[in-house]
Amino acid sequence: MGEAQQPDQAVKEALKRLRQKRQERIREVAEQVKVQKAELKAIREQLAADGEGATPPRLAEGTGIEVSRVMWYLATLKRYGEVVEGAKDGGWFRYRLANNARQSGGEEQ
Amino acid sequence: MTSGRTITCDALVVGGGIAGLQAALDLADQGFSVVIIESDLSIGGKMIRLSKVFPTLDCSSCITTPKMASAAHHDNITIFTWCELQSLERDNTTVTARVTARPRYVDEEKCIGCRKCEYACPVLVPDPEQGGFSGTKAIRIPFSNAIPQVAALDPEHCMLCGRCARACPTGAVDYLQQPRQFTVTARTAVLATGFEMTSPGDRPQYGNGTIANVITALQMERILAPHGPYNRVLRPMDGMEPDSIAFVQCAGSRDLSMGVPYCSRFCCMYAIKQAMLLSGALPLADIVIYYMDIRAFGKGYEQFYQTAKAMGIQFVKGKVARLQGLEGGTVAVHYEAQEGEGVSVDNHDLVVLSMGVVPHWSPEGICRVSTGADRFIRTVRPSLSPVRTDLEGVFVAGAASGPKDIVDTIAEAGAAAMAASNYLAAVRQQG
Amino acid sequence: MSGSRQRKSDRVGVYICHCGGNISDHVDVEKVRADVERIPGVAVARTNMFMCSDPGQELIIEDLRQGIVDRVVVASCAPSLHEATFRSAIARAGANPYIYEHANIREHVSWVLHGDKATAKAEKLVAAAVGKARLLEPLDPIHVEARRHVTVIGAGIAGMTAARLLADRGLEVVLIEKSPYLGGHAARLDRVAPTGERAADLVSELAEAVLEHAAVTVMTSTRLAGFDGYVGNYDLRVRPVLAGPAEDRNGYVPFHGVVGGNPPELTIKTGAVILATGFRSYRPRRGEYGYGDLAGVVTLPEFIRLFSAAERSGDCLVLDGRTIRSVAMIHCVGSRQIPGIHEEDGDGRLNEYCSRTCCSAVLHAACRIRELFAGTRVHDLYRDIRTYGRGQEELYERASKSGVLFHRFTAEAPPLVEPGDGGETGDFPLRLTVRDGLTFGEEVRMGVDLVVLATGMEAGDIDELVAMMKLPVGTDRFLQEVHPKLAPVETSVAGVFLAGTAQAPMTIGEACNGAAAAAVKAASLLGRGYVELDPFVADVDPALCRGTGDCLQACLADGALEMVEVETEEGAARQARVIAARCLGCGACVAVCPTGAIDLKGWSLKQYEAMVDMIVADIPDNA
Ligand SMILES: Cc1cc2nc3c(=O)[nH]c(=O)nc-3n(C[C@H](O)[C@H](O)[C@H](O)COP(=O)(O)OP(=O)(O)OC[C@H]3O[C@@H](n4cnc5c(N)ncnc54)[C@H](O)[C@@H]3O)c2cc1C
Ligand SMILES: Cc1cc2nc3c(=O)[nH]c(=O)nc-3n(C[C@H](O)[C@H](O)[C@H](O)COP(=O)(O)OP(=O)(O)OC[C@H]3O[C@@H](n4cnc5c(N)ncnc54)[C@H](O)[C@@H]3O)c2cc1C
Repeated sequence: MGEAQQPDQAVKEALKRLRQKRQERIREVAEQVKVQKAELKAIREQLAADGEGATPPRLAEGTGIEVSRVMWYLATLKRYGEVVEGAKDGGWFRYRLANNARQSGGEEQ
Repeated sequence: MTSGRTITCDALVVGGGIAGLQAALDLADQGFSVVIIESDLSIGGKMIRLSKVFPTLDCSSCITTPKMASAAHHDNITIFTWCELQSLERDNTTVTARVTARPRYVDEEKCIGCRKCEYACPVLVPDPEQGGFSGTKAIRIPFSNAIPQVAALDPEHCMLCGRCARACPTGAVDYLQQPRQFTVTARTAVLATGFEMTSPGDRPQYGNGTIANVITALQMERILAPHGPYNRVLRPMDGMEPDSIAFVQCAGSRDLSMGVPYCSRFCCMYAIKQAMLLSGALPLADIVIYYMDIRAFGKGYEQFYQTAKAMGIQFVKGKVARLQGLEGGTVAVHYEAQEGEGVSVDNHDLVVLSMGVVPHWSPEGICRVSTGADRFIRTVRPSLSPVRTDLEGVFVAGAASGPKDIVDTIAEAGAAAMAASNYLAAVRQQG
Repeated sequence: MSGSRQRKSDRVGVYICHCGGNISDHVDVEKVRADVERIPGVAVARTNMFMCSDPGQELIIEDLRQGIVDRVVVASCAPSLHEATFRSAIARAGANPYIYEHANIREHVSWVLHGDKATAKAEKLVAAAVGKARLLEPLDPIHVEARRHVTVIGAGIAGMTAARLLADRGLEVVLIEKSPYLGGHAARLDRVAPTGERAADLVSELAEAVLEHAAVTVMTSTRLAGFDGYVGNYDLRVRPVLAGPAEDRNGYVPFHGVVGGNPPELTIKTGAVILATGFRSYRPRRGEYGYGDLAGVVTLPEFIRLFSAAERSGDCLVLDGRTIRSVAMIHCVGSRQIPGIHEEDGDGRLNEYCSRTCCSAVLHAACRIRELFAGTRVHDLYRDIRTYGRGQEELYERASKSGVLFHRFTAEAPPLVEPGDGGETGDFPLRLTVRDGLTFGEEVRMGVDLVVLATGMEAGDIDELVAMMKLPVGTDRFLQEVHPKLAPVETSVAGVFLAGTAQAPMTIGEACNGAAAAAVKAASLLGRGYVELDPFVADVDPALCRGTGDCLQACLADGALEMVEVETEEGAARQARVIAARCLGCGACVAVCPTGAIDLKGWSLKQYEAMVDMIVADIPDNA
């Protein structure tokens, strides 16, 4: 995406004030996003390591992230096309990274 | 407060669920002009969020989307979503609604629904449209078949990082958008504000919403929906395919101590429906419904119930006293079986609560229509015209006047439209 | 004929729906898309999660506007659900809505087949639709004048409500009732649950409204003798019912209703018909719970009538001079019948449905007994208490509080009603035995003076109407709507609607809602003074018609074809002509025409051939 046209000064000022006003909340969200990024990275790496795919408990074990949270990330990654469901393994399904999927964590690459 | 622009129409419909849509269509098809105001980001109400619907097991999207689309495209219907009704007053033969359009932080006229903002956004938030089971973004199209297909930004989760604005091909993102006021004047109004479910959060006997793998029926609808969070039935706690699923009926109803003394009316049928869908998805799973009375009263409903029994779904007459979370995500259900000896305990992998149905909206301080002891909108001629409220020219339809399944809701919406059109015809004659 | 003149489109657009997984979980939608795109004549093939959604429809509209396509095939669910949706999308794009063809790959494919078979069949169906679509021609809907007039059959609560609303809406209404009275079953009630209103007041209010309304003609003791015509233009022949005259007085006659007007014999020219013919109370078989054999076993309607005549004083209820110390009320008589447990009726039928209204009606009666006569004990024997509606659960509460004794039985072990023997159950004429689920399946015996059977609702005796009007009937024998949610008061006969308990058991409030919903559909249909019908009707090619008249012989619709004198180059000749509004589009005439002069618009023989060709052809595989 190219850079959008230059916003005029008044808008810039207004945005600045808004940022100021929401400062606290923005800081909290940024904090959350940092955690999300780290956890997503761990999950992606674990998925890449388990070429055949991994079950949620296995991913939880491998990453140290609580299994319900792993499940939430998997559902999210699946929704954005980054992860696909694989074969069944006991009571669980395995999940693996989709081929040539774009990352949905928002990284602009 | 600035009053903003004024829109004039024949009939105002409050609520764009299936009741409001049907009423609007039945009015608009007669040539009346209709404005629908909807508080949510999309029209469609609860129904567009359901999986398949009893008693025919049609896919809910397939039945709701045509109605949504025909309302959205109707020459005589104008829809405003993401609105808040500030006041609804009636003076002589004019109904006046003051409405606030909440900011989406996305220009509705410019947005083309391409979702590029959503892909660009770095913030993951639990998706309320998927029962919280999957993440979505802080800016997003609410769900795949939402109408309108316009993105909205959730300021609570926005870092103002600017990525969405940069990704938007039409420059639609507007962080500075402000609420706008407008006024709708009409001759008549139909209230179709629907229902809400009570929350397990304040039910200690069900673990106050903290026991893993205890979910609500609406969450189960999402799990069963074709475009749900997992695209299959899994336990949200750990992704295991459940072998044993239990439904707890009247988990918030028919019990004064829970604040809902009345019957929530459609829970028996949706539990049976969900049980059937589950047994289709997981043929080997054990499915149990704990109930007090099975209320399968509508056309074809009793047959639906008997079919479920024949499919092997177990019906256990008994009141569930308590739920208990066990190691590994198992849930123990403590219940008093009607034909048993005292309290029994059974373990399940997943437990679904049929919570109580309460009104979505209270007219208090907004509109002079009165409500009943059950807090739903009171109807003054429940036998001969169940759509009449105590405010002349203002009618009610659907779950706004008490829990009602879709079939009954649609019939009532037609009835409200009929009453409203006759009222319109009468006031037109007066001048 | 015209087929040879048809130009084949080579700009067919194919739009394939995932149906949110309903289709794409079984059909490889992407493969279908890729393969279909290579079929000759296909300009573009696209997929979408929900083709019926706004973004889905937008795809089609854009392609049409851009001129990329000029014929449209949508592969999705049954056309009954969305054909209209897509036609109107095409119209919004400024194109003719009949350049559209539908392929059903859900009900016909993904709901019945899985894996490669499903994908292969989906491709065949789509290919066939493409074959047909290439030969589609723009058509115009048939425009028919419609009479702003509605006929309502049945003057119960539902019929009177519909008639009153439509008359208020400015339409002319005829209300036909076969009995001499207005009011139907409601007139046979005393006080109604759950509001406690007097049924007589409700019936009188409605009857007065319709009798006094200038736009309503009420015909009592009248029945339908003939039904002809088509939507917007029906002709109904009515005839007086030769029955005993109404009581010689005016106004409300208890347990009958309000005396109506006099029945002439005539033809009614009307635009639409609302069927509000109501229900029939279940008659217990002789011996069912002792009915007909044992004195003191009555049905709920019988009890309501007896009770309304009873003295409202004393400690105990007294009926017909008999003191009722104890009464048992049994639910689900003639309802919720289960194959293998319940006995079928003479025609081998069971009432498997729930009659919906009886639970509240019984509890209401039970409350009234207990509240007026403290000395009368009331036993309520039920399977499930279905007090689902507003104010109904409160009735259940009230019954419990007023001291009604509840016993729960299962379908497998119904209560037994026997003559009393003066033994342990005391000096009661009747003895009742039940295995009570509320006391852990203990067998409970009780002596009672009266047993009230909560008899359910059955479909009314309207076989004659059903045959005459070709009405659809469900397995429960009630009249059948097109779809419970999409078209809940419409029947498959255009312009014929359902109101009230003719459709299914309902309470009075629900019957009124149903009636008003039917009224609003009739008002919308007739409001503009004309209706538009699909143009898929027979079409005669004058160049080929030799006037054999074979088509008239074959025609299944009454009067859809006629022979007319025409001037041709060789002089006067007889030729067939189609009355479009009456034509069913069945094609029976096409099959018999010796010269191939008659064909169906939108479904021509050429198009069938093209479909068959595509089904047998190999589809280029992209994989
Ligand atoms: C888990 C579950 C499963 C179900 N399954 C089935 C089924 O299979 N079959 C069936 O027949 N029924 C089913 N139902 C019942 C069905 O959901 C209802 O019958 C139906 O949704 C009622 O429609 P409604 O339009 O009256 O209310 P709603 O669907 O609640 O719609 C009301 C609308 O009004 C809007 N609104 C509310 N207040 C305001 C306001 N002040 N201003 C503007 N807008 C407002 C809301 O946002 C909403 O969009 C189910 C219900 C649940 C909970
Ligand atoms: C025992 C009992 C107790 C009940 N108690 C209650 C209660 O407390 N509260 C409540 O809300 N509901 C109650 N109901 C239900 C209530 O009676 C019905 O909802 C209501 O009467 C239905 O009205 P309707 O107009 O649909 O049908 P109906 O009352 O059956 O009217 C149909 C009319 O059509 C006429 N008709 C039939 N066929 C033809 C024909 N071919 N040509 C012309 N005319 C025809 C009939 O003569 C009749 O007048 C009770 C029902 C029963 C059986």
